[in-house]
Amino acid sequence: MTQPRSALATPRPALEVMIAPGPLLLSTVGRGPELAVHEAQWGPLPALSTQALVELTAAAELRGRGGAGFPFARKLTTVLANRRLGRAPVIVVNAAEGEPASAKDTALILTAPHLVLDGAVLAARALGAREIHVMTPTERPGSGTAVTAALAERRQRGGERVTWRHHEVGARFVSGQAQAVLEHIAGRVGLPVTAWVPEAVRGVRGRPTLLSNAETYAQVAALCHVGLSEYAAVGQDSSLGTTLLTVNRMTDDRLIERYPLVVEVPTGAPLSTVLDAEDLRSPVLLGGFHGTWARPGQLAGARVSRPDVEARGLALGAGVVAPYAGSCPEGVTATIVDYLAGESAGRCGPCVNGLPALARAMTGLVADPGRSGPARGEVERFCGLVAGRGACTHPDGVVRLVRSLLTLMDAPEGWDQL
Amino acid sequence: MSQRQPRVALRVDWPQCTARGLCAELLPERIHVDPWGYPHVLGEVPPELLQRAREAAQACPRRALHLVEHRAS
Repeated sequence: MTQPRSALATPRPALEVMIAPGPLLLSTVGRGPELAVHEAQWGPLPALSTQALVELTAAAELRGRGGAGFPFARKLTTVLANRRLGRAPVIVVNAAEGEPASAKDTALILTAPHLVLDGAVLAARALGAREIHVMTPTERPGSGTAVTAALAERRQRGGERVTWRHHEVGARFVSGQAQAVLEHIAGRVGLPVTAWVPEAVRGVRGRPTLLSNAETYAQVAALCHVGLSEYAAVGQDSSLGTTLLTVNRMTDDRLIERYPLVVEVPTGAPLSTVLDAEDLRSPVLLGGFHGTWARPGQLAGARVSRPDVEARGLALGAGVVAPYAGSCPEGVTATIVDYLAGESAGRCGPCVNGLPALARAMTGLVADPGRSGPARGEVERFCGLVAGRGACTHPDGVVRLVRSLLTLMDAPEGWDQL
Repeated sequence: MSQRQPRVALRVDWPQCTARGLCAELLPERIHVDPWGYPHVLGEVPPELLQRAREAAQACPRRALHLVEHRAS
């Protein structure tokens, strides 16, 4: 069943990204990624005790920005609770960004690498860690170059008392998954394995490991640099701080825009600050290829905040906002599912067998989109067969996408009637 | 009923599992097979099946079936 994939079927990350200046994390955009620029903007790194960092990140309601949205302060306390003599924690900065539609971590690494690294150093000092791993994707070589340059600047400046390790991880969709990253650091093939305990309990070489997304560390650094009141004041509508979004407009010809836009918006700001009226009249894929379809109108009045988006039955994930200006969301979804089936690490039976079967069923659904047709039944059956059955959440992400398409197709106010 | 038993569930180590199928033969009450021969594990293991669940886990030639503490989802 191997077919040559068209350019459409094999989405690759955009080679160039448009990055708009922003209120906090992206405030130095246009002035360069150098350490001198960073220090002129932010000043010296504040010294925070363990307790102060936990309290500050809890008060700022800071959550992970890799997609799952786990409360950062809780991750810190889990790492702290598992410290033992001779088992100092390890820090991992994940900028692997396996989702090709997302470009916000890459944008951060390219324009403000030192803010990300500051966040890692703050966490290391608070946790008593001496070792920081930074993961960038081979597929976005600019990230690796930027990290190499930034680490050279920091080593030359000296005085940091941490050991930096930079790794370039594979190009697969699942390569940036937490367990895959830990496998890579351990010197094994960087693909997902079963996690019996969270990495915050036992991660790199059995040590409690703080593994977070690059934006999360940049948020930590910005918060510590400016303080809670200034950080909170940036947010809108009772939300605190900012959120990075990747705006990627999809058409029937391409899933990844040539120049996706990365913007930093105040958390709680109206989504209409990044989407125009035309976008809001289209279906919008929120959260990327593992995300959920919003039907036209479902995002009217929506705000860039987890609670607002979740109240609409959607998820912001890692912040990909992808309006679709075409006539066949079934077709686009089938293309994405076909791509994602090919991105399986090939290790877990239900994923290896189930995702290609689901992709074929999706092709059937495009030809026969009837609500009670046999194709629909096949799609639902294979969704049920792969959900929750794998070492990582790749099958679950695909099922979330497909089920949200079914909801979109069933919507009484269907997009094509608008 | 005097002592609270820890609640137990079966969990598959998916990358290890190669669909040998012994588990489904040994514990058909709790393990079905999917169309490709891989186990489909159903929820919590009741106390009366605990011993046989242990045997099914031990019988796995790939050591891919594990008994874990059940966490209500």
